Amino acid sequence: MAQQRRGGRRRRKVDFIAANHIEYIDYKDTDLLRRFISERGKILPRRVTGTSAKNQRKLTVAIKRARIMGLLPFVAED
Amino acid sequence: METRKYEITYIIRPDIEESAKSELVDRFDKVLTDNGANIAESKDWSTRRFAYPIEKYTEGTYHVVTLTTDTDEALNEFDRLAKFNDDILRHMIVKLDA
Repeated sequence: MAQQRRGGRRRRKVDFIAANHIEYIDYKDTDLLRRFISERGKILPRRVTGTSAKNQRKLTVAIKRARIMGLLPFVAED
Repeated sequence: METRKYEITYIIRPDIEESAKSELVDRFDKVLTDNGANIAESKDWSTRRFAYPIEKYTEGTYHVVTLTTDTDEALNEFDRLAKFNDDILRHMIVKLDA
């Protein structure tokens, strides 16, 4: 938890999509999208990945499209 | 309607013969051009394994078409035909911004 952290530097979160200047998130780019889903196949929250709200919105659309086209799982079993 | 760029991706059955596949691609390209769309590119992306089985298949060939059109006729006709074509397992039409 951020509040309970005394001293020690908190790691600066980086918006991976902004940092790499990705304008359009292509749903076919599964290697990129895989960074933002959990092992179970769930979309990771912004607080975990550090993505900006704007990019998170684009990201969810891309992930959902990829799921429909069978590129990413809806649920990943172990 | 404004002229816009679209991208259509469809998944072709993996066990189709090469000749039948190119015939299928040509036929669907023609559907688009006949209805007033300009195809910028139409090519196979890759044959990939699915994340989950689709219609009992575990893999399929992805074909990507980028096009511009100012009416929705081509898109509607493509959608209608792709829905009941057994060789196309799934298709998606997305609008490309910018």
